[in-house]
Amino acid sequence: MVGEAHVSMIPTTPKKVWSANVNGHAVQALAPSNAILLDVLRDEVGMLGVKRGCDLGTCGCCTVLVNGEPRLSCLCLAGQVEGDDITTVEGLAEGAHLAPIQTCFATHGGSQCGFCTPGFLMAAEALLDSNPEPSREEISCAIDGNLCRCTGYQQIIDSIEAAAEIKRGDAPAPMPASNPHPNPHPEGPDQPSMPPGHAR
Amino acid sequence: MSGGYRQQPGASRGTTRKDGKRVAGKQKFPPPGSGGSHPNMAPRDLDWIPESVGGKEPQPAGSHIHDRYRTGTSVGKPRALVDSHAKVTGQAWYGDDVRLPNEIIGKILRSPHHYAKIKSIDTSKVEALPGVLAVATGQDAPNSFGVLPVTKDEHAMAIEKVRHVGDLVACVAAIDEATAMEALNLFDIEWEVLEPVFDPKKGLEDQDEPIHWRGKYHVGKTNVQKRVFQEFGDRSLVEEPSASSHGKWRMEGVHHGFTEPHAVVAHWDPNGRLQLYTPQQVPHYAHRALSTVLDVPMHQINVIRTFVGGGFGGKSDPFPHEMCAAILSRKAGRPVRINFSREEVYWINRGRHPSHIEVKMTADEDARISGFDIDALIDGGGFASFGHVTSYYNGVLATAPYELGSFHYTGARVWTNKPASGAMRGHGAVNTRCAVEVGLDEMSEQLKVDPIDLRLANLLPPHSRTISGFRITSNGMREALERVREGSNWDRKFRQMPLGKGIGIGCGFFISGSGLPIHWDPNRFPHATVHMQIDMDGGVTVHTGAADIGQGSTTAVAQVVSEVLALPIEMIHVRSHESDTSPVDLGSYSSRVTFMNANAAIRAALEIREKLLNAAWEMIGYHPDVLVLNDRRIYYKHDPAVGVSYLQALHKAQEDKGSLIASGAYRSPPMGGVHKGAAAGLAPAYSFSAYVAEVDVDVETGLISCTDVWAAHDCGKALNPLAVEGQIIGSCHMGLGQVLSEKMVYGRTGHLQNPNLLEYKIPSVHEMPNVTPIIVESSDPEGPFGAKEAGEGPLLPILPAVVNAVYDAIGVRIRELPLTPDVVWKAISAKTKSLDGIEPTDLPAPRLTHGPLQATLVERGNEHKVRDKKRQRSEDTSAYVNGVLFGFDPERPMEDQVEGWRTAVEPDPEQLAELGLAGKAWLKQEQRHMGGEQ
Repeated sequence: MVGEAHVSMIPTTPKKVWSANVNGHAVQALAPSNAILLDVLRDEVGMLGVKRGCDLGTCGCCTVLVNGEPRLSCLCLAGQVEGDDITTVEGLAEGAHLAPIQTCFATHGGSQCGFCTPGFLMAAEALLDSNPEPSREEISCAIDGNLCRCTGYQQIIDSIEAAAEIKRGDAPAPMPASNPHPNPHPEGPDQPSMPPGHAR
Repeated sequence: MSGGYRQQPGASRGTTRKDGKRVAGKQKFPPPGSGGSHPNMAPRDLDWIPESVGGKEPQPAGSHIHDRYRTGTSVGKPRALVDSHAKVTGQAWYGDDVRLPNEIIGKILRSPHHYAKIKSIDTSKVEALPGVLAVATGQDAPNSFGVLPVTKDEHAMAIEKVRHVGDLVACVAAIDEATAMEALNLFDIEWEVLEPVFDPKKGLEDQDEPIHWRGKYHVGKTNVQKRVFQEFGDRSLVEEPSASSHGKWRMEGVHHGFTEPHAVVAHWDPNGRLQLYTPQQVPHYAHRALSTVLDVPMHQINVIRTFVGGGFGGKSDPFPHEMCAAILSRKAGRPVRINFSREEVYWINRGRHPSHIEVKMTADEDARISGFDIDALIDGGGFASFGHVTSYYNGVLATAPYELGSFHYTGARVWTNKPASGAMRGHGAVNTRCAVEVGLDEMSEQLKVDPIDLRLANLLPPHSRTISGFRITSNGMREALERVREGSNWDRKFRQMPLGKGIGIGCGFFISGSGLPIHWDPNRFPHATVHMQIDMDGGVTVHTGAADIGQGSTTAVAQVVSEVLALPIEMIHVRSHESDTSPVDLGSYSSRVTFMNANAAIRAALEIREKLLNAAWEMIGYHPDVLVLNDRRIYYKHDPAVGVSYLQALHKAQEDKGSLIASGAYRSPPMGGVHKGAAAGLAPAYSFSAYVAEVDVDVETGLISCTDVWAAHDCGKALNPLAVEGQIIGSCHMGLGQVLSEKMVYGRTGHLQNPNLLEYKIPSVHEMPNVTPIIVESSDPEGPFGAKEAGEGPLLPILPAVVNAVYDAIGVRIRELPLTPDVVWKAISAKTKSLDGIEPTDLPAPRLTHGPLQATLVERGNEHKVRDKKRQRSEDTSAYVNGVLFGFDPERPMEDQVEGWRTAVEPDPEQLAELGLAGKAWLKQEQRHMGGEQ
């Protein structure tokens, strides 16, 4: 950017319709034919959870799943994944129910400033899909393409281990995040223990 | 009982006690909508209520003034950050995620020259490019700004000359990024290239054209931005030492390496007010600077702090690109977004100063530290930034945790034609700390004692005063040292491991909040203010300006409010994003947030608590002194069934005035000396830490890998242990980067060669050692529930711990950071050559045979342990100042007791000849004393 003439980005690059399946929904976007997947996802599709950290494939913040495989969206032309299944961090939760990996990142301190978190979540999700019982070493290898400056990785590995346990069914599933009354029937569904005056 | 009522929980599941008395069990929580996720009141959690008020939480460090406000709700429990769900769902909005309708894209033209005068800028071609909507140059904003009021040396864009490659020259806004990039090619600029300075040593000499001109305060015609001289104590003590260490260090500059590049969105709303969205650690500085630069009153600017993707000090300056966005937006009449590429992040820099540090230290025949002599020449780059403060911190933060016979410091910060250095986690203290701790290791070897015992026998006790006049309150240094010694199995490993394996110790000392708010007098205005509001729904809205940069400051504030009011944390809503609604706050720097904001929040919450208790008093007739707050209920201490719900008390309290409003402020107590620079390094509390690191060194390649770290940090009281552990491990990560791999590489032409994350090597997951975080709780008397900082201090000890461990592994002292394989290999080669060319694998690993002093030190350490415990628990409240270890009376001024004891902030003329590298800055006079500018 300094020292020499700037690379011309050809403002007149023709645009074309790009289509893919993003988070389970068919998406069509008008994007320049040389557009980077990261730009299309952020600017055209509106998936702002995909973060831009370095534009060089070094930080892993922009990791998304393409057909279930983790991929750096900043090093990928949108055209290369035309028609593919793309999952971003926005596609991890089911409605109000966070995926185990998301809850565990919150409860085990895997996320501090949170900027690298989407990338780590995607890398971890891909790992857990293929390996339900990863060792700490295997987890390290799965996330070594992601940089985190806050946590020192240790609590991220803890989070992924905890999520693996939940996914395997060895630990109870977490409560949904945005339900104000996570368990309205603490004594079982047969004995509603609603407070007096509560609408039945 | 007047007007009260007895609340029995229907088919009560109460229990009958052994003595036959029936006690209420789980209380139903009567009216719905009171908040919280469970209809019943949770039982009082005695495990989280301190012993001093009848609970079961052990308090080895003694009771605390806030104990009686503990309700066992939140404090001390590990919990997720309150904004963590926004972060794990991708909904957290960082700088580049702010998208406003009709926005356009701004780009910045940066200088290709290290140092040059701008003779002219022709923007006509830029303006003619279709799609360009606004162009601005330095002439559009001639007012200068700076983070410190005394050094306002920055402009939105270069006015007259550029000071480093990457300095801002002009900016342009266009309909899309491609057009804006294209426009950058079309500026016609005429330069007059000047002779740049890159070496800070050269910066001490007179220049034809100094990088900045400070008028009558300018030192000669040099590039010295700030020079510091401090001398305390009895210099005669350093004569005839029984051990001494003299080390010259070279530390490279390092960058914060936060993952989120800077980004800013500016928008002048239809009423003509500026709305500026920026990931700032200190929105208030940006607010002030914007007002100055744009010539707009502060109340016409709303600074909106987005989520901050990591700061570490690198987002605490007001930045020129924030001004640029505002100027472009004002010209174009549309919102302007500027987001940085990773390369631009390095041009704006503000990372740790590249430093030349020289440390001489001596110990006397009793292994007391008779003197520290520190000289720090730091490379400030093109602008002042926080440089004034950094210049002081490099020295004064080495005055503890050890008791010193004398302290001598010369520091200088010089301008060079590189991107500006600034504040970074462990601000100013990190490099000197490393040099000092390694020096102690060397002295312990000469004294034939264990380095941990040397430290344990020379610590300042709690409630004491350092040689420079800092007031130490709580002090967990001893416990930290003892716990890492035990945890790491130190006594079985130190100087006993085979060649290539080593273990080392390092300590740290850091401020918990700067005692001086830069922009105002702490005696007139508080450091921090927190507003609180509760409406009929019962939710508590807390307004604070504390900037959450990922460390969890919002969570800390929510936790203390939740604790005081006994409400689930879900009912506390912290609003800290907008300067329109937040009280003025100095944001996240100098590790002040938990200490100052949480204290202010406690005060506001106490005001609300009092109103609620008075309302409950009116309703049930028991005096607040015998009322208990617990999980959304207020009840009579001796009969939990008699009480009111939180919501009932709240509605009663609201009868007269509606919403409950409270405001709390934190002020620091008056403290510190009166000498020049006494306020630098002054803090209401200090954190302490001790780390042991274990390393493997490949003697044939010089590759170091750190395998294990035992990290003990005294944070006073861990409000949220999960977050404290996260800070400790994260600090290890960052410090490890500085000591092993990270450096900003400036080539022979002065050009920064690695402005990207590929070549600027942040440790990846594979380089991380196994860190065992150890939380030490010394319960600070003035901290919120006893808490102190945990964000910056934990970084300090990792550097010396690793350097000392490397010595333990290979017997070679290296004083050049980072310890990259080439540096280590060179040092090993030099050593093998000096040993008649032996193979590296035959190097002798250092060994230790305890000398006679060892037993003395252990004995003294044990005596001091008893002393410290008494002082910590306030069983001994006698005065203690630095010097008692040397036999002085703490009640009388030192100057009266020793003839040679002095406090000096300027060198005597006869001293000038013997000053170190940075001390040479004192050879020149300021212009006003040279008969120059008056």
